[in-house]
Amino acid sequence: MFTIAMLIAPLLLGDYQAYLLTLTVIWAVLALSMAIVLGLAGQINLGQAAFVAISAYTSSVLRLRYGLDFWLAAPIALGAVIIVAALMGLLTLRLRGPFFILVMLAFAEIVRLLIANWQDVTNGPLGLRDIAPPEPLLGLHFDTKIGFYYLSLVVLLGCMVGLSLLMRSKIGRLLIGVREDDVLAEFVGIPVMRNKVLGLCIGAFVAGLGGLLLGPFLTILAPSQFTLFASVDMIVMAVVGGIATLAGPLLGAAFLVYVPELLSFSSEYRPAMMGALLILMTLFAPQGLAGLASKLRIALTRHAQHDE
Amino acid sequence: MIAQQLANGVVLGCIYALSALGFTLVFGAARVVNFAYGELLMIGAFFTLTVMQTLSIPFFLALPVAMVGVALLSVALFYLTIRSLQRRATTALSGELQVILVTLGLLYVLRETANFIWGTAPRQMDMGIHGIVLFGKVVVTKQRLAVMAITFLLVIALYGLLYRTRIGRALRAIAQNREGAAAIGLNADRITAFVFAVSGAMACAAGSLLGSLYAVESDMGSSPLLKSFVIVIFGGLGSVPGAIVGGILIGLLENLSGAYVSFAFKDMITFIVLIVVLLLRPAGLFGRST
Repeated sequence: MFTIAMLIAPLLLGDYQAYLLTLTVIWAVLALSMAIVLGLAGQINLGQAAFVAISAYTSSVLRLRYGLDFWLAAPIALGAVIIVAALMGLLTLRLRGPFFILVMLAFAEIVRLLIANWQDVTNGPLGLRDIAPPEPLLGLHFDTKIGFYYLSLVVLLGCMVGLSLLMRSKIGRLLIGVREDDVLAEFVGIPVMRNKVLGLCIGAFVAGLGGLLLGPFLTILAPSQFTLFASVDMIVMAVVGGIATLAGPLLGAAFLVYVPELLSFSSEYRPAMMGALLILMTLFAPQGLAGLASKLRIALTRHAQHDE
Repeated sequence: MIAQQLANGVVLGCIYALSALGFTLVFGAARVVNFAYGELLMIGAFFTLTVMQTLSIPFFLALPVAMVGVALLSVALFYLTIRSLQRRATTALSGELQVILVTLGLLYVLRETANFIWGTAPRQMDMGIHGIVLFGKVVVTKQRLAVMAITFLLVIALYGLLYRTRIGRALRAIAQNREGAAAIGLNADRITAFVFAVSGAMACAAGSLLGSLYAVESDMGSSPLLKSFVIVIFGGLGSVPGAIVGGILIGLLENLSGAYVSFAFKDMITFIVLIVVLLLRPAGLFGRST
């Protein structure tokens, strides 16, 4: 039902509402990528924004400087993200706990500083401008707000379906086994390292998909969009929505886009709200909104049974 | 020229070492990676400045007052957020990750609170020490010498606290073996709270020194936070001598690579060296491999 609502919603709404919906969907893709790392690898990845940046910049630079088609630049950018993620995984995943987090943070800083200083290609801190919407594909056009919204929605739904299939497959179970107890997993003959790297790559791939959409959506890209705080935003959305379910990140993204909007919040207070939410949810509702919703449903059914 | 760069590097390294000390102490004793640590530095600088202005007293009298203030704030944050998480273990995420999430949240909240109270414009803080000293051809401002002296005093005080007092011994016991320390009747909560207090005081000192050298502003916290990460990885997470040596090494590395390789890429070089170090020695240069 929710899906149907998301499909027809933009047809009934104006341009600004379509913009907000697209923003929600793109954030949901990014939050989902963080939820994958949190849920599948059991790690906080403060380098996630770097994967988004690599994908966004690679695809946009290929289009702006080399005149490549969006649909040709996209697989190249995703390939680059996966290669970098695999390399980082091989380098860092044998590090435990805080070391992994700190190294990924250092990696994200390296990527951001590289983008900010490699003036000839990335235009430095000023950033890339006038990024066009994706070219038409198979007779479909994406140069309207609505068209681009549907493209983003297809990406999000594709990721969600792909992930739910993955979770049910053998690979998904192996990944969870490794997350729960990597020593035991190693003992029963699961290639732990390979599975950890795979988990990181899947998360990076989804982050890369989000990155592809980011350039055409915002029309500008600058290194200041990809600081530590971008990764933290993704974490907040994943945690607020709940990382245990596929709908969680979408719920979290919708919450964080629409609540400030509805309260006509000044954007000044947004970071404070993000921080307070992260603290409160972690302390009092670690399962997120999705967890709260299912608790509420259970409580309501109990209540209904009482009434009868 | 190279002597001047080395001198600048050591001064910078001293402040880095001081910032990293509070961070590494909390990790060593409480196993907490405190992402809000940089904001404590920033708030410390603002506390010192505010005390200086409201009581119209000089920097060196205001600093101890502000250090007590930040120590109390740090303890309050520990009791309000982190302690309850450490008590409750298994949920969807492991306890360690939850603590990180909470400190990330605190980072935002503290920074925005500071923005709200003190505004976003950078302010100057005058230490009251002016002039320069010449060592041969090397120029060092007296202010920078004072910074080094304060760092030196604080490090000696910290060593005294850790090795000459009862609570310092208890603290080291907890850092070495949490369960064992609990078994012989040490109150882990109280000692952890004490570590947070010491860490807050160190953060305040480091932030105030940084603020007096550059400027006091609400987003001054993120750079020392990142530097502290790099330093404690260099020196080994939780190691006090490691933080001091690591801090000075990073200060030197930054100054030398900024002067002789590329100023624009100096931070990047630091991070790349960090990753290389971790790959060769996963527990840091001086860390024990556990």
